[in-house]
Amino acid sequence: MAFALAWFLAVLNVSAMPYIKVLGVTPDLVLIFAASWVIVRGQDEGLVVVPMAGLLRDLVSSDPVGTSVLAMAPIVLLAAAVRLQAMDTDFAPALGVVAAGSLLYGIISMIVLAATGEGTPLFYSIFRVVIPAAIVNALFTPIIYLPVHWLSPRKMERFQAGRLASQL
Amino acid sequence: MRVIWWLGSVFLVSIISIVLSHHGALDPVRNVSLRASAPVEGGLRDIASPISDFVDGVTDHGDVVRENEQLRQENERLQKLIAEHDDALARIKQLEDALDVKASHPEDQFLTVNVIAQDPSGLKRAIAIDRGQSDGIDEGMVVLSRNGTLVGTVSASYKNYAWVRLVTDPDSTVNAQVDTAGAATSSGDASGSAQVLTETPAPTTAAQATPAPSVSQGAGTPVLPASTGPIRGVATGDLRDGIVLDLLPSDARVTAGSQVITSGLGGNYPRSLLIGSVTSVDERPQSPFKKATIEPAADLSRLDTVLVLISFKPERLAGP
Repeated sequence: MAFALAWFLAVLNVSAMPYIKVLGVTPDLVLIFAASWVIVRGQDEGLVVVPMAGLLRDLVSSDPVGTSVLAMAPIVLLAAAVRLQAMDTDFAPALGVVAAGSLLYGIISMIVLAATGEGTPLFYSIFRVVIPAAIVNALFTPIIYLPVHWLSPRKMERFQAGRLASQL
Repeated sequence: MRVIWWLGSVFLVSIISIVLSHHGALDPVRNVSLRASAPVEGGLRDIASPISDFVDGVTDHGDVVRENEQLRQENERLQKLIAEHDDALARIKQLEDALDVKASHPEDQFLTVNVIAQDPSGLKRAIAIDRGQSDGIDEGMVVLSRNGTLVGTVSASYKNYAWVRLVTDPDSTVNAQVDTAGAATSSGDASGSAQVLTETPAPTTAAQATPAPSVSQGAGTPVLPASTGPIRGVATGDLRDGIVLDLLPSDARVTAGSQVITSGLGGNYPRSLLIGSVTSVDERPQSPFKKATIEPAADLSRLDTVLVLISFKPERLAGP
């Protein structure tokens, strides 16, 4: 299911999403999905889903294959760090991981692009692309986070247990 | 500990993938991936485009936006005609002066292709098209809008798909000149691209080779006196301003509204393709050069069909 969702979001990212510009940038649904998945489902699944989502994103974009895999890797570490903080909800950590992950994603992408001869203007890219992208991705997090949360095993178990209890 | 090992592995695999990808070793994989996703991408774009228009309309000035779009297209077409007219006049004058007629004007061919995707990262300006090497598309080939204005060049070509680097991408560099009316320009003919507008049907589903009147090959620029020569510069893509025309002579008379066309120098672009019009000029007393900001003639954010100039062989593709 994660593969299908990540692929669909990657395709959506390059087809329909460029029509949506907030603060001059397009929200990155694949990154939000990967971060939400790690927060909701835990590190074990994140170790597989994050690189897979990055790979799918790379295959349909013009970046060299491996760029997003590398740039999304810090999401797993960020999620692990956030999980150390005891919190009642997963949503606030998800917002933090998406925002911080977006910043790191942008910076790592810039480094990779520069290394492959596709350099971008440093300050403009950081202040007009990377930072706005972190804000916009955080704003769009509920759109991806909530479905991922509803589909989580814990939520499904609770839902099924609740339905069983109500029947009894 | 496990995460550290994972991170190391991901880093290593990513670097290897990036290197392989940079050298084209993963192009077949990307081609298969684009083939699998292209129908969905096309469908989603078809759905998103009217929704985007609808949202624009709801959020206050939809009618103005639509009207502006129509006027922009009309303006683009007229600007292109004016640019060609001026260039044709200049060329006639030059031919009269030089009595040196170019011998060959091979017919140009355009391949009409559909845009299927757009790079979502704000760090690049690129679009994906649904034709590739099997249709004769190669890296470096020039891509035009339906109205014949410059859109960009093919940056990566796979078997059935290709990525196009737009003129607004930071890595795009085009030798350009300001199309000043009456300025003596160098050899080359008026581009036949204007006819493309009338000869090429609006969005088509199948690729088709469209013969069009000639476009010059960008060679043979004679040396002209500085006072009568064209104002030349380098048009570079800019994430903020769109396109910046740099390295203009400090004494050049460039004003807002001046049209900028390709100069053909270097042989990577045909001459006289309209790039856009000057919106502002940056003059600094101490600087040896002027800069101008250009608004692209084509609406690069809403491209659905573009033309690949397959008969023009850029210098960078030509062998030694």
